[in-house]
Amino acid sequence: MSDEQNKDTLTQTQAENPAETGTLSEKAADTAAASTTSETATPEKAKPTPAAKPAAAQAPADPKPATPEAPTEAKPATPEAAPADPKPATPEATAAAKPAPAKKAPPPPDPRALAAKEIAEKLKQSLVSALGEASVEETGAAHFKPMVRIRKEDWATAVELLRTHPEWKLNYLELMAGTDYKDYIEVVIYLQSIELGHFLCLKTRTDREEAKLPSLVSSHAGVNWEEREIYDLLGVNFTNHPDLRRIMMWDEFKGHPLRKDYSEWD
Amino acid sequence: MSSLLENTNIREEEMILNVGPQHPSTHGVFRLVVKLDAETIVEAEPVIGYLHRGTEKLAEDLQYTQIIPYTDRLDYLSAMLNNYALCRTVEEALDLEIPERAEHLRVIVMELNRIGSHLLAVGSYLLDLGAMSPFLYVFQEREQIVQLLNEISGARLTYNYMRVGGVKWDAPPGWLDRVREFLPFMKERIKMYDKLITGNEIFVDRTRKIGIYDTEKALSYGLSGINLRSTGFKWDLRRNKPYSIYDRFDFEIPVGQTGDCFDRYYLHILEMEQSVRIVEQAVAQIPSSGAILGKVPKMIRVPAGEYYTGIEGSRGELGFYIVSDGKDKPYRLKIRKPSFVNLQILPELLRGQSMANLIAILGAIDIVLGEVDG
Repeated sequence: MSDEQNKDTLTQTQAENPAETGTLSEKAADTAAASTTSETATPEKAKPTPAAKPAAAQAPADPKPATPEAPTEAKPATPEAAPADPKPATPEATAAAKPAPAKKAPPPPDPRALAAKEIAEKLKQSLVSALGEASVEETGAAHFKPMVRIRKEDWATAVELLRTHPEWKLNYLELMAGTDYKDYIEVVIYLQSIELGHFLCLKTRTDREEAKLPSLVSSHAGVNWEEREIYDLLGVNFTNHPDLRRIMMWDEFKGHPLRKDYSEWD
Repeated sequence: MSSLLENTNIREEEMILNVGPQHPSTHGVFRLVVKLDAETIVEAEPVIGYLHRGTEKLAEDLQYTQIIPYTDRLDYLSAMLNNYALCRTVEEALDLEIPERAEHLRVIVMELNRIGSHLLAVGSYLLDLGAMSPFLYVFQEREQIVQLLNEISGARLTYNYMRVGGVKWDAPPGWLDRVREFLPFMKERIKMYDKLITGNEIFVDRTRKIGIYDTEKALSYGLSGINLRSTGFKWDLRRNKPYSIYDRFDFEIPVGQTGDCFDRYYLHILEMEQSVRIVEQAVAQIPSSGAILGKVPKMIRVPAGEYYTGIEGSRGELGFYIVSDGKDKPYRLKIRKPSFVNLQILPELLRGQSMANLIAILGAIDIVLGEVDG
């Protein structure tokens, strides 16, 4: 086979793209592009005037733009329910821009965060209808991305459900991370729906002693090593994991370095 | 007296073969334990962690600016992209505005770095497969790119060039002209490689229809970058989740067709062409003067919360996940390392393949061990 042929076939793909995946991905691309927050287009960031900002940051699936209605809803945006909502926006950023008034009313909630929370609520409903009221522990926004915290017993079931759920189709796992919060260990995944354009964040918590979570490998093969890494560095046991061993540290290593109480002299 | 041949019972057994950790074609310290049945691979098990330096743990004791040099050492072939990925996450968290000139400089150095990284990926892949000359050839252009990046950042490999809010150094006098001069040369050379390598029948036969997987499998393994696009699936974060000023540039996203090793090689060539296009446009559009660092607070404190952003690195989605408790140091920093995620599919690809294909398949995934091990 000649190289010319090879080249031709490849460039053809570029041009006309396989029918299904092509259109799907283009659709996803369009929705994603349409919803991008143009960072350059938001001047004077320090001022708490969120109404001016383009809404629906990471909410490509939202059928209607959330800007017009989100601020009017004006929920009292409980700060503890929204950990990502920047508290009295970046004190030193404000200070750099202008002499900050000593006391300031908490800024109105960012429409992007509100839009994210709306989606999180929708996701909660999908989960609750399938797995029961107790399966969702918290909804909110993680820096303008919808966030839902799931009970650890339902972790694997919920992720598998959302992977095939016709409304969500969260089939591409972009990130998995574990964090030691001293009282508990939190595992977070960021999921992308290639077809529908959703991008959101799911979480679950486990206690530090006997940390244990169901494994997600059967739904997303790519978390195999991520879970091994979390097991290795944070000491979370993943049940039903096909091959749970240390991955970064050597087998005889004691302790879990990413835990906050880890000391290398132990 | 019976013949010697009659009585011989030929023993058949599986053999364990250890590849690495110092094997040259593993591109670093990567070990692969392979179970062989004659020439066929029954099972393969990657063993990683030889270069683990605990970047994520170290970062917890460092201020955000101090973390930047550590990111250089992850994927050391595309340090500019690593720098940018971290800075961008912090910038998103702080909602910073980046000056125009800085954004352009960033795009120029990132795409130059991407070309350099792809060049070496192609060169070393060919070297793995036994073709020595392309590896030596690519160092000619790569040297020019490294020179350009050296002039602007002061380092040849570990640039430490980006800062939260902009870049550290402005382009030295005449630098942009030298970039402009370099581009037509680079274009010619890409054509030359296309002829030299893509036109090499031995190479094509060696890589066609090897290591094939489809889009669904790629997505379930979380593959990104060329490894995902080789299956014909158009997914490039520069387009799908545009960042920086990539939405202003006109460029294509080449995709493969069969998802085999050849497609993965060939996409490197096609992407270099696109990167040259982006640099051309960026060099034409860059404001002739202006600030290179935005209004950044002296002490960078990320507001409490958690942040994740990913960019299209040269090997796939490169992302930083930051948990902040409002201090000047991250409470937790997690790096989404494309090489680490992409490498996981290797055992599945190797199963049932002949031993001779091992290097062809591993090389096409294009890993950098500094990134795999973090």
